[in-house]
Amino acid sequence: MINDFNYLKPGSVKEAFEMYAEHDDCKVICGGQSLLIVMRQGMVAPEYLLDIKGLDELRYIKYDEKDGLRIGATTTHREIEKSPIIQEKYPVLSLMETKLASIQTRNWGTIGGNLAHADPAGDPAPVLIALNANIKVGGKNGERTMPLEDFFKDYFETALEKGELVLEVHVPVPPAKTSVAYQKFNLLDSDMGIVAVAASITLNGDDTCKDARIVLGNAAPIPKRVKNAEELLKGKKFDEKLFEEVGRISYEESEPVADIHASEEHRRHLLSVLTKRMIKKAWEQARAVA
Amino acid sequence: MSTEIKELKYSTFKTNIKYSVINTKVHNVDGIAKVTGRAQYTFDIKLPGMLYGKILRSPHPHARIINIDTTRAMELPGVKAVVTGKDTLGIKQGIWRRYEELCDEQILPLEKVRYIGEPVAAVAAVTEEIAEQALDLIDVEYEVLPAVFEPLDAIKKDAPVIHEGVERNVNVTRHIEWGDVDEAFAEAEKNGGYIREDWFRCSGQHHMCMETRAAVSSYTPEGKLTVWASTQSAYYTQALIAGVLGMREGDVRVIATYVGGGFGGKFELDAAMFCSAVLSKKLCKPVKIVFTREEDMIASKRRTPMYYYVRTAMSRDGQLLARESRMFSNGGAYTGMGATALYLSGFFHSFPYKWKAYRYDGYRVYTNTMPSTSMRGFGAPQAMFCSEQQIEWMCADLGLDPYEVRRKNAHTECYEVPGQAFIQSCGMTECIDKIEQWAKSKGDLGPNRAIGISSCGFMSGGIFNWFDSPYSFSSAVVTINIDGTVELHVGCQDIGQGSNTTMAIIAAETLGVKVEDIKVHSGDTDHCPADLGAWGSRQTLMAGNAVKMACEDAKRQLLEFAYAEMGLNIVYDLDIKDRWVHVIARPERGMKYEDLVRKAIRAKDGQRIVGRGYYTPHRKGMISPAYSYMMQAVDAEIDPETGKIKVHEIMTAHDCGQPINPLGLVGQLEGAASMALGYAYLEDLPMDEGKLLNPNLVDYKVIRAPEMPKTGMIDIETYEAEGPYGAKEAGEGLTNPTAAALGNAIFHALGIQMKELPLTPERILRALREKKEKEANK
Amino acid sequence: MEKRALKLSVNGQEYEVFIHPKTLLVEVIRDHLGFTGTKRGCETVSCGACTVLVNGASVKSCSVLAVQVEGMEVTTVEGLEQDGKLSPIQKAFLDNGSYQCGFCTPGMLMSATAFLKENEGREVTEHEIREGIEGNICRCTGYNSIVRAIDAVAKGTYKEE
Ligand SMILES: Cc1cc2nc3c(=O)[nH]c(=O)nc-3n(C[C@H](O)[C@H](O)[C@H](O)COP(=O)(O)OP(=O)(O)OC[C@H]3O[C@@H](n4cnc5c(N)ncnc54)[C@H](O)[C@@H]3O)c2cc1C
Ligand code: FES
Ligand code: FES
Repeated sequence: MINDFNYLKPGSVKEAFEMYAEHDDCKVICGGQSLLIVMRQGMVAPEYLLDIKGLDELRYIKYDEKDGLRIGATTTHREIEKSPIIQEKYPVLSLMETKLASIQTRNWGTIGGNLAHADPAGDPAPVLIALNANIKVGGKNGERTMPLEDFFKDYFETALEKGELVLEVHVPVPPAKTSVAYQKFNLLDSDMGIVAVAASITLNGDDTCKDARIVLGNAAPIPKRVKNAEELLKGKKFDEKLFEEVGRISYEESEPVADIHASEEHRRHLLSVLTKRMIKKAWEQARAVA
Repeated sequence: MSTEIKELKYSTFKTNIKYSVINTKVHNVDGIAKVTGRAQYTFDIKLPGMLYGKILRSPHPHARIINIDTTRAMELPGVKAVVTGKDTLGIKQGIWRRYEELCDEQILPLEKVRYIGEPVAAVAAVTEEIAEQALDLIDVEYEVLPAVFEPLDAIKKDAPVIHEGVERNVNVTRHIEWGDVDEAFAEAEKNGGYIREDWFRCSGQHHMCMETRAAVSSYTPEGKLTVWASTQSAYYTQALIAGVLGMREGDVRVIATYVGGGFGGKFELDAAMFCSAVLSKKLCKPVKIVFTREEDMIASKRRTPMYYYVRTAMSRDGQLLARESRMFSNGGAYTGMGATALYLSGFFHSFPYKWKAYRYDGYRVYTNTMPSTSMRGFGAPQAMFCSEQQIEWMCADLGLDPYEVRRKNAHTECYEVPGQAFIQSCGMTECIDKIEQWAKSKGDLGPNRAIGISSCGFMSGGIFNWFDSPYSFSSAVVTINIDGTVELHVGCQDIGQGSNTTMAIIAAETLGVKVEDIKVHSGDTDHCPADLGAWGSRQTLMAGNAVKMACEDAKRQLLEFAYAEMGLNIVYDLDIKDRWVHVIARPERGMKYEDLVRKAIRAKDGQRIVGRGYYTPHRKGMISPAYSYMMQAVDAEIDPETGKIKVHEIMTAHDCGQPINPLGLVGQLEGAASMALGYAYLEDLPMDEGKLLNPNLVDYKVIRAPEMPKTGMIDIETYEAEGPYGAKEAGEGLTNPTAAALGNAIFHALGIQMKELPLTPERILRALREKKEKEANK
Repeated sequence: MEKRALKLSVNGQEYEVFIHPKTLLVEVIRDHLGFTGTKRGCETVSCGACTVLVNGASVKSCSVLAVQVEGMEVTTVEGLEQDGKLSPIQKAFLDNGSYQCGFCTPGMLMSATAFLKENEGREVTEHEIREGIEGNICRCTGYNSIVRAIDAVAKGTYKEE
């Protein structure tokens, strides 16, 4: 049963900032795909609900050869999935979206809501962090931008301050010979991942690794970079033994929590397997890109 | 009817009659209502002045109820009534009405609660929201008691007592035995036979009907009660409600026009029916109760979790010599249908093989968990998981061909399961042949991928009357109107399995008319004859026979007039087909069915033609009048690094006698496969101290479209003399082989033996690790 | 917490309802407007029984606040037939036996309708069809008959009358 609330519907981002600043016990709703479930369980019961779903100012996908990709917060998952420019320039984002929940949820749920929700099992965050994305947030007192990596603070907690909204995700143009691979492990095709791994590999001309970014999903309270593993890869040649070793680091550095779907040990094991596989996959893909 | 009988290799006999309706593709008679959203389920019923009910449930697995104070709840504006055990005087009820001690469930208990989620009070209010708020205002004082959750703990001497006077919490036991088992094992040992024993653990499963349990009760001042219920048997619901409310059965009308799934979970009295009826009777207003998904999951019933010990002796050349099994099932807090599952599990555990000596001891043990009951397959999926895997492993241990071993031991027609059952038609051997051909035609499947098989059989109409119904098992009344249209009143319950369509097909075939001439009336106790309902795979055979008999009765009356009208020599045979009444030997000689009906009714002084039929099994053994048989093959691939299973295909060779409704048959096959596959590797009901850990559809996983593999069916047609037009069960038994077949696929793909359900990635990886360790130690 | 007026169009007809802002779209459809074809089967946005189209896109109406569809066009299962004529996917469901208890059917038909519309004129793979309905649980049919029905319509077996 959802508790009663006062409904606020801003006509512009500016008005949204003001309303948000003005009302104390106020929660933002966008697609509501995550929020309404917790509201129905009575876990969230705000006095005011600020509905930003209709803010088309924040609903855009822009691409520029130099600046990269900018996605507005109220853009739906489905719009990202289907965007031709994203399919072309950031195929991993689009592929990730095809496995995020069902079509109905992707049709209504938004990227801003997903990131703000900060579910450690969320799919976009690991992929976007592997892509070195930034997030723009803002409120009545102005806007700020930070690496997406720094946005997540704890389970369902972010760097958003009171009165701040997520406004935009910015994905820079990837370096040459870079590719990102992502996979979650689950039993049903588009279920939340039991664990997930995103790996970005940038190659030198001689097929050695120039740079790597490895991000684990649902392996810790927030998306987890495995920097020791990244360092280990740098300068190395394609080597499946090495990937095993890198997987081992994921195994050790992750801090997954057991639940009915998998024990801690099993999750660590899966993380090591997926790390190995995603590095290999990203590497092979990177060879093929310019 | 001229029936040419010809010998078929694999069947008792076969009619070569060309049917005009049977085994043709017809639309479901409820189809249009269902695809246009017109079908009204109990969930959709809204009556003027209707109140909404909610149920307060126990947070404790085992506790004495000291006091329930409803004062504050009653003070909440909009609340109309609150009822507790005091209002119902703790009447105990159960579906095993013949045995008082097994009627052990008070739906609103007086003294104590025995599982988390058990109802303790119910509220009726003007809105659902107010009713829910009122629940928080009911003060219940409990004395928490020690609780026990697993059958192997509950059966111990010093375990908490769940039902007073029930020693060691053993609810029921069942013993099945034939041959001299001890001697057979001794002899096997002496002769160098192979004996193997294993322990298995089979999980529970939730029915997960898409329509949760729901009821609308409307009691009116003339002392009559109408209940719309999501039930598998309108008659059971009627009789049970009348029983607990102290009313006459005839004063209770139960309506169940459309039911959103049953699968064995909806023919007992549930709290939605009971509480809405009690509240409505108290208020003389309609009251609606719909379970949330969470309530449905924590406080309905489930497939019975079972622990199986299986010991089997096989000769070195693959003859099955003896089996001895013990089973301990987690009965949960109450009996429900579980006693039947206990028996059937042990019986089908012997299927489909000719054991010389067989012994089964089943113990159903009470625990402080949600009650377990019947679910599609009725104890057999668990039994097959253990039996068919063990046999496969024994074949591998001995280097024998698993198809050959199964063929060698399989049931054949006219076989008697000693002291238990007589098998008439049986296509088991051909099922094995066909699956073997199919599997071998697939060739090499590559690494980590294999085909696993399992055979099994199932009953075609349970012969159980623990309910102590005074009525026939199935009845039908057919009425022919002046224009030839037909009203068919049946008691059997359509819960989606398509019985209305099956009955329409049988009626149309028998009367010689078209399916669109038949209007099926079902699911209303005021207008339809009593029937035990949709369980035990009864309907096609039992209700089908009743319908056939009713239609033959009506047709006989019509043909009597036809003889007179056409002035025929009495040695001529008449028949009706496609609305044409004709001499069989000279089909062109005849008259229109509509003309005959008009004349016949006139000649009957204006009475409509009425035919009656019924079916009650006699001299058909203890279990069923007939048995379906099948072998299933599952082609699965397992990722050895993650343990993830990908099922590529499921192929089933199936002997269900004469298929009646081919679309329905395929639907049953595919539906059973998805449910059974879910049972095999996804679905589980994990609990912590009696609390269900996944009471929602996020954490409880069911097969969805992308996971569902390709399915195929090889139809092995036999003719079952006991079934209408030779038909047998199709649908329930198909749930039985899948878990075992998947287990066997994993065995052949990875060389590991899985003894615990569901077959999760983690269990697979653990088994792989253990196998590696063992090999390293060798 | 005041009630407010909401205008929306359902199956081509304008309606105005007076609701609390917390009212879900499914509640407006079923309880206020009486379109009970749309079902509900869970509280966790998992089952898809409540699927409807909003401006042509499928959504789970239990996961959407009614106020969010102000002025939009909602299509429910009742809106699929035109003047008593079934839509192609409805016919295909009949021919393929793509329903049993029928409780998931309205939601399933809406997902299928959206999928077919989106892929009009494109060849679709079986896997795409399966992904197109993965938000909808059917406990009865095992989905394959539903996949066959969608495939048949996608292949042009059923022409709009
Ligand atoms: C059945 C189902 C399956 C799912 N499966 C997946 C999955 O596999 N992978 C996955 O990643 N997700 C999954 N999700 C989660 C879901 O899709 C997203 O998290 C969702 O789309 C969030 O977007 P929304 O617009 O609906 O956010 P809402 O539900 O409206 O909001 C979510 C949270 O974010 C806040 N919020 C929303 N927008 C903003 C903003 N612009 N600024 C500040 N705060 C904001 C809200 O206050 C709330 O706390 C699933 C959800 C469902 C219902
Ligand atoms: S009711 Fe289950 S998804 Fe909406
Ligand atoms: S037809 Fe019953 S749930 Fe799909």
